[in-house]
Amino acid sequence: MSAADPLRRVLPMLEVRWSRVARAVLLGTLALGFSVGLAATAAWLIARASQMPPVLQLSVATVGVRAFGTGRGVWRYLERLASHDVALRGMAALRANLYDALARGPVSRVVALRRGDLLARVGADVDDVGDVVVRALIPAGVAVCLGIGSVVLVGVFLPAAGLTLLGCLLLTGVLAPWLASRAAVSVERRGAEARAEVTGRSLELLDDGQQLRVAGRLGARLTALRAADARLTRSTHDGARISGVSAAIDAGAQTLAVICSLLLGLPAVAAGTLAPVELAVVVLTPLAVFEATSTLPAAAVQLRRSREAARRLVALLPDREERPRTPGRPADGTLLTLDDVAAGWDDRAVVAGVDLTLRPGSVVALAGPSGVGKTTLLLTAAGLVPSLAGEVRAEDALFAAEDGHLFGTTVLENLRVARPDVTETDARRALAAVGLTDWLDALPRDLDSMLGPDGADVSGGERRRLLVARALLAPARVLLVDEPAEHLDAVTADALLDTLAAHARDTGSAVVVASHRLTPLGVADEVLVLGAPAPAAGGPARVVARGTHDELLRDDAGYAWSLAQEAATAPRPAAPPPVG
Amino acid sequence: MRPLDPRLLRRARAARWYVALTAGLGVAAAGAIVVQAFAIAHTLGPAVTAGSAGTPIGLADVAPWLGVLVGAMLCRAVIAWAQERYAQKAAAQVVAELREQVVAHTVALGPRAATPDVSPDAAADVAGHAATATLATRGLDDLEPYLVRYLPQLLLTAILTPALVLVVLGLDWVSALVCVVTLPLVPLFMWLVGVMTAGTSQRRLRTIERLGAQVLDLLAGLPTLRAFGRQTGPGARVRALGDASRRATMGTLRVAFLSGMVLELLTTLSVAIVAVGVGLRLVEGMIALVPAVAVLVLAPEVYLPLRRVGAEFHASTDGLAAAERAFAVLERPLPTPGTTPAPALAGATLVLDGVSVRAGDRGVLAPAGLTARVPLGSGRPGSGRVVALRGPSGSGKSTTALVLLGLLRPDAGRVLVETGGSRLMDLADIDPQTWWSQITWVPQRPALAPGPLRDVVADGRPVTDEALAAAARTTGLDDVVAGLPAGWDTPVGLGGTGLSVGQRQRVALTGALLDGTGDADPPPLVLLDEPTAHLDARGERVVLDTVRAWRDAGRTVVVVAHRASLLALADQVVDIASREVGLETEEAPA
Repeated sequence: MSAADPLRRVLPMLEVRWSRVARAVLLGTLALGFSVGLAATAAWLIARASQMPPVLQLSVATVGVRAFGTGRGVWRYLERLASHDVALRGMAALRANLYDALARGPVSRVVALRRGDLLARVGADVDDVGDVVVRALIPAGVAVCLGIGSVVLVGVFLPAAGLTLLGCLLLTGVLAPWLASRAAVSVERRGAEARAEVTGRSLELLDDGQQLRVAGRLGARLTALRAADARLTRSTHDGARISGVSAAIDAGAQTLAVICSLLLGLPAVAAGTLAPVELAVVVLTPLAVFEATSTLPAAAVQLRRSREAARRLVALLPDREERPRTPGRPADGTLLTLDDVAAGWDDRAVVAGVDLTLRPGSVVALAGPSGVGKTTLLLTAAGLVPSLAGEVRAEDALFAAEDGHLFGTTVLENLRVARPDVTETDARRALAAVGLTDWLDALPRDLDSMLGPDGADVSGGERRRLLVARALLAPARVLLVDEPAEHLDAVTADALLDTLAAHARDTGSAVVVASHRLTPLGVADEVLVLGAPAPAAGGPARVVARGTHDELLRDDAGYAWSLAQEAATAPRPAAPPPVG
Repeated sequence: MRPLDPRLLRRARAARWYVALTAGLGVAAAGAIVVQAFAIAHTLGPAVTAGSAGTPIGLADVAPWLGVLVGAMLCRAVIAWAQERYAQKAAAQVVAELREQVVAHTVALGPRAATPDVSPDAAADVAGHAATATLATRGLDDLEPYLVRYLPQLLLTAILTPALVLVVLGLDWVSALVCVVTLPLVPLFMWLVGVMTAGTSQRRLRTIERLGAQVLDLLAGLPTLRAFGRQTGPGARVRALGDASRRATMGTLRVAFLSGMVLELLTTLSVAIVAVGVGLRLVEGMIALVPAVAVLVLAPEVYLPLRRVGAEFHASTDGLAAAERAFAVLERPLPTPGTTPAPALAGATLVLDGVSVRAGDRGVLAPAGLTARVPLGSGRPGSGRVVALRGPSGSGKSTTALVLLGLLRPDAGRVLVETGGSRLMDLADIDPQTWWSQITWVPQRPALAPGPLRDVVADGRPVTDEALAAAARTTGLDDVVAGLPAGWDTPVGLGGTGLSVGQRQRVALTGALLDGTGDADPPPLVLLDEPTAHLDARGERVVLDTVRAWRDAGRTVVVVAHRASLLALADQVVDIASREVGLETEEAPA
């Protein structure tokens, strides 16, 4: 392991107690040692018995054989329990440490967690790193202890045979695992691209299969999938060439050790340096030893896999601790000021040159096409993402994300995320404000009803409103709410914005809402329209127009046009059922 | 669950030759092991006997048997090499074959493929779709350990174990008897332990899954917790959940590993019994040393495959479960397509006659009893029409489009095609290929193939640069191309990665405009599902311009309209409504 080995960095997070590992290795060595003992005593017993001594002389050996035969299973059982205990403790500690690190690190890492199946990946990666203990470290420790013990046992009778046994053990314990690991690398490296393509094409076919059928392109896409899968198979094939050699070494080394013992033992017996009975022990013991090394190729592959998993986890870990956010205090009478602020990610500005002042009761809307940078600007104003230029000064500001998380717990506990002391009355009032009273009444256990993981049994619109209700309950004096109206029908959406505005005016706090729908923005004191520059020009988006809703409607042709388009789709009475 | 599902052999060609190869290698392995045991016995036996008698033999006396031993070693190495080499390849091929079949079959099942017939509900639809996607991408990989590790051991147990017992029988019938008596005890005891512990393990496993999900839930919610400044508290909870999870897991393992212990105990104890028995009979002179050594070497080998089968048991259950899921998809019957060639659509009339489609769990028909006549344009420039499907969200507009495409069969009612002379044909009887070749369909989320932008737009259609440029002007794609550094050569990933949602839509509309610009006549019918999400003013204008272009070209555009601007353009508006019908089955209160 090199110094830059990600496993090295992650292993301390497992908080492994090495005494527990030692115990597991000891138990594992005992289990396999009993196998070796069984083989050695049985060999001695048979060879000695063939000399037809009085039966009593064999009694110790017969008892030994039976004892070794019985004990192995018990030791193995204890070893498996001990090693899994170590691994599970490690995984639990790793999860907790990972959580702590992410909780303290920059928010961009955390935001990245939501993308794709990264999160599910984290769960699997933690398991993979934990597996390194059960599947790699402990088997390797057992193999080393048992190998040394067996070499010494054989070496006591015939030192040269001990050395050849050691050589064969090194073949299976070092060379074969190294080859197996190389094979895994080869498959992974060559296969990664093919695997990604197979996954992508499968998903495309499953998602868009119907349109491909209609367009007559299904056959071509299935052929492309088959070709990608063939490439994947070929990469496996190349790896199997190497792992095949590893398997061959593993299968042959045992017999090789027996042959070496015979080649060395027969002359030794002839020379009188080795008793005939001992020859049987020297020749037959190796047959039981190689069980210890036969798990090592798999252990080497596991080590690699764990290292890759560790690499991905390290990539998630913040390389620095987030400085506690100490935004400048805004001037008296204001809650938040943005002074020529540029917002963006990784030093690339998405929005620039934004000035904004919020006073108690202010309601400001942020408009503009999707993807223009409204969310990034809100995150920056909330202090969750450092501003790239300019100055953010804020009283405690809360960012309510469009995809905010609903926890797999009760409705009330989900609302208490905003503030631990939310009472049932507070909760009901907030849910009523966002129009969820009917929804609450329909729940089986009222405020104590469980929400599914990630709020799975909540519809998109209900989810949005729950998130707004939670934001309303927060003690923050500035609410920065991202697209509160998404997934809602127009009437509900407009009512929700009214609710947020009323909250600001009643409590003397301030609200900024990002919205790509313009119709409800009349409720805002000021509307900031963000616009991207022409594609050819590039550069960050800027505030292209600002003013009250009415002013913009009067002065800004684009704003008026967009609003007219929305107005045309304003809710109408439901169409009468067609006359059949 | 059967240890080897015969359907696997039927469905996957690669599985057939692999099983045959593995069986062959198993026979060879059995031979090599027996030969090795005899070679060791015939070298060691005389050496010990002669040595004990004070007349030790030299290497030359046993040279032939040493040669045999070297041969056996090489054989075993080659067998292991071949097994490993071809197992991996065969596993990859079996997975590939099943993947293609699952994907092709799911597509052929139609747009509601993910919904199992037994539970028609929307949540199952989404979950079913995700499950199929997981199965096709990662789930089938579970077959690999099953095929590479478990199946060979299983076949070895079936071939090698009885063969070795027979060999032992020839050498020493008492030892063979020990094997015959103890061998069946292994699966018997494992089964007993399994049965006794199954309930506890199941309950504990559920606990563990729940605890794991809670930790992931907290991780997933970390951005939210941070926004509220509440991120530090749950750290302790993650730790506590981890501890609880460990305790629950250890409880399960204490029980689960019992079967492993029984397995190890029985197999090693049997070897010990054989060894002691042989030893005692040697003293009595009832057996010679050579067969005694052979039996001693063979005894562990008799039990080895069985032990390995036990160790790979999880690979077997996971792999068979994956195969089972694949077969569950593959065994769902396909709808029988019609066979009559479609009539020419230009100038025909589509007649919807009381069309109703059940919408999932809500006990809703959407559309409900839809009856309408939609005359199609003749295909000559100027005769085009725009037909808007209108209705509140969830009323079944997109479903109606699927029904018109023949991808979805209505639960009640019919779709008829009326051609000249009032001849009526049921859409269900029409050969779908001939129907689809007359339709251009632009769904809400269009599929884009990967490649350079030009090829993505053309998507296999023979198009000239002029036609491409003209179509791009209509949809505003030319603006997009102008802004891209590599222009028409800009690479686009699978599913349109690298393009924004609006850009993807323009690409799809441009491609749809190009339908039939080559030698073939343009399809007379265009079905357009207007995108609802995040379409700004510019995006909306693109849709309107494109629809107009189609109408001007004499084609009929049936559009699922979400906006008034499109309704204003329509020559005919078909109102779509849903109706609650109540659930047929009473669901238990949650």
